[in-house]
Amino acid sequence: MPWDALLRSATWGATLLCLASLGVLVLRTARTGRPHLYSRPGGDPLRGVVYAFTKGMMPWEKESVAKHPLTFSAGILFHLGIAAAFLLLYAHLLALPLPATATQLLMFSSLVGAILGFGLLLKRALKPPLRRISSPDDFLSNLLVDLFLLFTTLFHSDLIAAPLWLLSATLLLLVIPLGKIRHCVFFFYTRTLFGMFFGRRGVFPGPKAR
Amino acid sequence: MTELIAASTPPKVEVTEEQIQTALKVFFSKLSAAEVSAAQSCVRCGLCADSCHYHLSDAETASMPTYKLNLALAVFKRHFTWMGLIFPGFVGAKKLDQAMLEEWVDTLYGRCSMCGRCTINCTSGINIPAIVRAARSAMAAIGMVPKELQSTVNAAVESGNNMAIPQADWLDTLSWIEEELQAEMGDETIKIPIDQPGKRLLYTVNPREPKFYPLSLLAAAKIFHAAGESWTFSSQFYDVTNYGLFSGDDAHAGLISGHLQEARKKLGAEILVLGECGHGYSANRWDAAQWNREEQDAPILSVIEILHQYLSQGRIRVNPQLIQKRVTLHDPCNLVRHGGIIEEQRDILKLAVSDFVEMIPNRQKNFCCGGGGGQLSMTRFSKRRLAAGKVKADQIRSTSAKVVVTPCHNCVDQLSELNREYKLGVEIKSIVEIVGDALVLPGKG
Repeated sequence: MPWDALLRSATWGATLLCLASLGVLVLRTARTGRPHLYSRPGGDPLRGVVYAFTKGMMPWEKESVAKHPLTFSAGILFHLGIAAAFLLLYAHLLALPLPATATQLLMFSSLVGAILGFGLLLKRALKPPLRRISSPDDFLSNLLVDLFLLFTTLFHSDLIAAPLWLLSATLLLLVIPLGKIRHCVFFFYTRTLFGMFFGRRGVFPGPKAR
Repeated sequence: MTELIAASTPPKVEVTEEQIQTALKVFFSKLSAAEVSAAQSCVRCGLCADSCHYHLSDAETASMPTYKLNLALAVFKRHFTWMGLIFPGFVGAKKLDQAMLEEWVDTLYGRCSMCGRCTINCTSGINIPAIVRAARSAMAAIGMVPKELQSTVNAAVESGNNMAIPQADWLDTLSWIEEELQAEMGDETIKIPIDQPGKRLLYTVNPREPKFYPLSLLAAAKIFHAAGESWTFSSQFYDVTNYGLFSGDDAHAGLISGHLQEARKKLGAEILVLGECGHGYSANRWDAAQWNREEQDAPILSVIEILHQYLSQGRIRVNPQLIQKRVTLHDPCNLVRHGGIIEEQRDILKLAVSDFVEMIPNRQKNFCCGGGGGQLSMTRFSKRRLAAGKVKADQIRSTSAKVVVTPCHNCVDQLSELNREYKLGVEIKSIVEIVGDALVLPGKG
């Protein structure tokens, strides 16, 4: 079996394993339960959720973002790069033809993501407070993502062969449920509950919601 | 100096394996889906650091919200996740043991006022105070609550108020306030209602009011009289505070809040009115029903909401010309960021004073004064508390205000200490006091 076909299968297998593991993690989390709320609501949880995913993430609303525009922007572009790389990955696996411009754009986004990802990794390694709060998982997870983004770019620039790219993707997919990268799912879970909590109390989006 | 530090360091308490198991059981029982999801959401980006007044004051890693969060989550991961069990070093999982418990006490009690400012600045929106409280609950279960905080809880449980004011003293104070009210109103028939059944409002206060600020009781009585309100105090349960919220002990917290509901039901009052206390509002309005697993069967309102109603309905009038000094407002975290009472106090001040200026930032984004989380009672952490208050002191100074108003008597205490420590030269007042000062008495134009 040629390496390419073998790694295609491995990537698909890793994808399924990743999705199944994340599903189990979400179910296990949900099974810890949400307590019945006995107090009378003071606002609308749904409006809180909308706030959490829109205005509540904006620099003019969120001080941590306003104070760290570079880190925030790097984070956004890094995550857009990851999304782009996965789009290219599954387009490749499914043999979906993408317009050349779209491929170029996704590849560029992936490259930007890789550069910024390495930058964030370097920042974590060099800044003492960040280093002190980090575990090996923080470094390895970032590194695996960065390599995947880099190899995505290199493969689409014809600088490396598909197996190396697929190997990086497979490794990444296998690690996703094991460590911090699982936040790709739990970010949405937590942020939803954040919105519901503050929405119900009439804190966000504000008193007009009451 | 060494002696002073030694004197404030509590004696080391050895914990047994059985206690550790108890603490773990309680800790896990306090984590619902929100907290377990949060445990898998923190990416340790560190963006929360600047949102915390502790970290802004000392720049220590241990003061970073993410550090505090992960200190608690390390135990969760080690004892309740497969990865933490198999590869603890890889995911930063740590056993709960003597050393960890000591660090929990120092960090989760001593470096956190549970103000929640980190939560709104967290990339994922992790409710860090909820996880800090879960850890505090674990410590409460094995008697590791700092004794100064625990004694405040004990006083409330045993005497009905956190300052253990004897009932006779409470009634004496009310009697004196009644005389003052009669003199001020020129009407000897006015009474302070105590244990009057069937009234619309049961009014509760912070025990610091009868103890240190009785004039705020006078102001409230004057306002209720001017509004023609049907209200009463309870002779027994009038304490709006609940330090069980901060110790982490749900059983005691539920009991303390239950006292107020018991008094309301016994007297047949329609509405429980919570006096000016940030955490008292959050505890009684939002958390007590959870602790006691009881649906709220009657409205629970802050006195700020009541004053706001009076003014908007024209039941009382205020004259802003009576307060000419520049006034600023401190938002208590538990009333505003955790409570949802945001605009009412502003509307009141805009009517009651001539020159009102906002602090920057304000409302949900305001900085904690440093007095929350039980910090005022935990004397061993006083130095940190005052240092962490510098952010608030700087905020106040930049407004050039001469009066700082806050609808919370714990905040009043911390702001008064900051006033002395940082030589701010301001007066600290509550909203009820300000409205009392600006009140136009009926028939007196």
